[in-house]
Amino acid sequence: MTPPLPDALRCTGVSLRYPEAARDAVGPVSLRLRAGERRLLLGPSGSGKSTLLHSLTGLIPASIPGERRGEVALFGRPSESRRPADWADSVAILFQDADQTLAGFTVADEIAFALENRELPPAVIAESVRAALRRAGLPPDWTARRIGSLSGGQRQMVALAAILAQAPKLILADEPTASLAPAAARLAAELLLAPGQSVLIVDHRLGPVLDRIDGVSVLNRQGQMLAEGSPQDVFGSHGGDLDAQGIWTPLAVRVRLALAKQGHALPQVWRMEDLLPHLPLGLELSRLVGKPPAPLGPPILRLERAACAPPDGPVVVAGIDLTLNAGEVLGILGPNGAGKSTLGACLAGLLPLRTGRRSGPAGAMAFQNPEAHFVTDSVQGELVAMGATPDQVRAGLAQWSLTGLADQHPYTLSMGQKRRLALAALTAARPWPVLVLDEPTSGLDHAGSFAAARQIAALAARGQAVVVITHDADFALSVCDRIVLLADGGIVADGPPALVLRDAERLERHGLARPEAAALLDLGVPC
Amino acid sequence: MLSALHPLPKLALCLIWIAALVLVFDLRLQLAGLILALGLLWGVERIALGRLVLLMVPFALFGFGLLTTSVLFHRESGFVLQMAQEQGAAQPDAAPGLVLFTRVLACGMISTLFALTTDPGRLVRVLMIHLRLPAAFGFAMLQAMHIVPDLRRELLTLRMARAMRRGRPMRRVPGPTEVMSLAIPLLAFAIRRATRAAIAMEARGLRPGQPRTHLPQPPVRGGDIAALAGGVILLIGLLMAL
Repeated sequence: MTPPLPDALRCTGVSLRYPEAARDAVGPVSLRLRAGERRLLLGPSGSGKSTLLHSLTGLIPASIPGERRGEVALFGRPSESRRPADWADSVAILFQDADQTLAGFTVADEIAFALENRELPPAVIAESVRAALRRAGLPPDWTARRIGSLSGGQRQMVALAAILAQAPKLILADEPTASLAPAAARLAAELLLAPGQSVLIVDHRLGPVLDRIDGVSVLNRQGQMLAEGSPQDVFGSHGGDLDAQGIWTPLAVRVRLALAKQGHALPQVWRMEDLLPHLPLGLELSRLVGKPPAPLGPPILRLERAACAPPDGPVVVAGIDLTLNAGEVLGILGPNGAGKSTLGACLAGLLPLRTGRRSGPAGAMAFQNPEAHFVTDSVQGELVAMGATPDQVRAGLAQWSLTGLADQHPYTLSMGQKRRLALAALTAARPWPVLVLDEPTSGLDHAGSFAAARQIAALAARGQAVVVITHDADFALSVCDRIVLLADGGIVADGPPALVLRDAERLERHGLARPEAAALLDLGVPC
Repeated sequence: MLSALHPLPKLALCLIWIAALVLVFDLRLQLAGLILALGLLWGVERIALGRLVLLMVPFALFGFGLLTTSVLFHRESGFVLQMAQEQGAAQPDAAPGLVLFTRVLACGMISTLFALTTDPGRLVRVLMIHLRLPAAFGFAMLQAMHIVPDLRRELLTLRMARAMRRGRPMRRVPGPTEVMSLAIPLLAFAIRRATRAAIAMEARGLRPGQPRTHLPQPPVRGGDIAALAGGVILLIGLLMAL
C-alpha cells in the first residue's frame, strides 16, 4: 500500500513578530494544506497574511528581520531545515508587487531565472520558457521583450508565467490578480488554481478564485484564525462574522446579509446562482448593488479633443471629449496599459495636455502607488502635512480606521493601510473640486472598500467631482454615476453604469468583464 | 548590423581600440578613431547626428579644460605636459592639449558605439556565462537597469504629488530646491526596490556562489571573429602608417 502523501504545508502555532513591534503581526495560527489542495487565505488589511506567506519558506527571519515561533513543515520537513533559496525547487512564491520583484532583463530571462538556479539543462529551460509563455497566453515573440517596456498587468502575467515554468509542488500567491484586468485575472486564477495543484492564495478579489478553491482560512484583525473550512462552511455559516471583521465575502453573501437586515431570511448559500431562485419578488435590487441616481451640478471640468501623454512619452489616448459635473462620480475602466492613469493625471490638471484644451479648476489625484504621497514619518503627520486641523486629523483617522496607527511610520503599514492613509490625507482637509482616485480599492479589504465608497459618496454630495479609475467593475457599479470605457487609444463607451457594464460583448472585446452584480441587474431592473 | 554582433568580440575590439588611443599620443590616430566610430554610428547604424553630439557633451566638457588652455592661451598645463611625456610612444604632432581633448572624444565615441549597439541584458548574460561574472552581481546590474525607467516614473509621480500639495502646476524642469527635496524619497524608493528584488531572487533560488545553468545564448560566429580581426588589422595598419 502506498504511504499517504505528506501535507504540502502544516503550520502549528505559528506567530510572527517584527523587530521592536509591540505585538505579533500574526498568530498564533495553525494551518494545514493537503497535497493538491487549493486554499484561500482571507483576512482584513493588516492581519498579517503576507507576513505569514513570507515566513513559510523561512524568508522571515532569514532575510526579512523578524521572530518566528511555532513550527512550519513543508512536505513533511521543517522549513528551517533548508535555506529559503533551497525551497525554490518545490515552492514558488508569487509576490504582491510582481512588477518590483522581477529579476530578468527580458521576458525569457525572467521565466528562465528559477530554472537556471536549479541547474536544469539549457535545452530544457528553453522548452520550459516556450511552454510557460503558451500557457500564460503570452505571445511567443515576447521572449526578447524587455521587462521595462511592459505595463504593470503585463509584468504580473510574466511573473505568473515564471511560476508556471517552475512547475512547483506548492504555490504561495499574494494577491496575484490585484493589478490585472478582469479577463487576465480570470486567466491567472485558472492557471494558478489548476486542479491537483497545491496552492495557498491570498486575494481580496474573490470573483476569479471562488470557483477554483477547495478550502478557505480566515484570519481576524488580530491575525488569529477566525474560521476555516470549505467555502460553503466559511461563507455559508460564518458570512456574518467575516462581514463584521470587514473581510470580503462573495456578492451572494453580501446580498443575503443585506436582505436579512431588511427581514428577508434566505438560505445560507454563497454562490449567486444558488441565491437567485430564492430572492423575493418585487425587491428593488439595484439599490443593493448600484448607486441611486443623484442630481448633478453644473459642468465643472471639460476636456476638448484632448491628447494625453506622459512627459517625454508617446500619446496614449487622443480625441478625448469629456465633461465632468459638480457632484458627479465618473468611473474610468479599461484594459491594462489603456492610458487610464495618464488620462486621470490630465483630468486632475497634473499633466499638461499634448494637444487639446482643458478648462476647469486644478484637482488632486490619489496615485496607484500610495507611497508616493508620504512625506512625513507618522500616519497622523501625513494628514497634518495636507493642512488638516487636529479635529480633522482625528476625524480622518477614524473614518479610515487608522486611529490605532496614528504614530506608526507610513512605510510600515500594510498595502491596504497605506492606500487608506493616502485617501485619508487627500480627503481630510482640502475640498478639491476635482479628485481623481487611481485604483482606490486595490489591496483594500471589504471595510476599506466600503469606507472608500462612503467617502466618495460624501465628496460627491458636497459638490466635488470624483473620478474613479478601477478594474473593479462591481465597485464602479456601486459608486459611479457614469462610466467611460477607455481602449484602443480613446473612449469606446460613455454612459450609465448599468448600461455600459452590462454590455458583455464589448467588455470582453477589451479584456474586461461584467460585474458580478450584473446578474442582479439582469433580473429586470430598469436601467 | 553592429547590433547583431556578439557582445564579447565587440567589447574586446572596443577595448583594444581604446587601449591604442590611450597609449599612442598622436592626433591622427585619435581623429581616425573618432571619425571611424562616428561614421559607423551615423552611416551604418543610422543614429542621428544631433543625438550623437548630445551624447558627446559630457566627454567634451571633460576634455574642454585641456583644450582651452592649449588652444586659446597657447600654453600647456603642467598636467598635460606630464601626460605627454609619460607616453611611451609619444610623437606629439600637435598641441598636447588638443591631442588629449580628441582622445577623450574618441574614447567617448567608441564607448558610445558599444553602448548604443549592444543589448545590455545580453551583455550581462555573456559576462556571466563566459567571464564568470557572479550571478548575484550580474542580476544586481540588471536590476539597476530596470530601476532607471521605474525611477523616472516614480520621479514623475513624486513631482505630481508635490505640485498637488503646493496647489501649483508642475514645472517643466524641476528647480534645484525641488531636485534636492526629491533625492531622498528617490533613494528610499531605490533601496526599498532593491531589497524587495533581492528577497524575490532568493525566494526563486538564487544562491551566491552556487553554480547555475543558462538559457541558451547565440554563440560567437564566424562573422563576429571576422569583425574582430578586421578591426584589429585596421588598427595595426593605421599604427604602421603613422
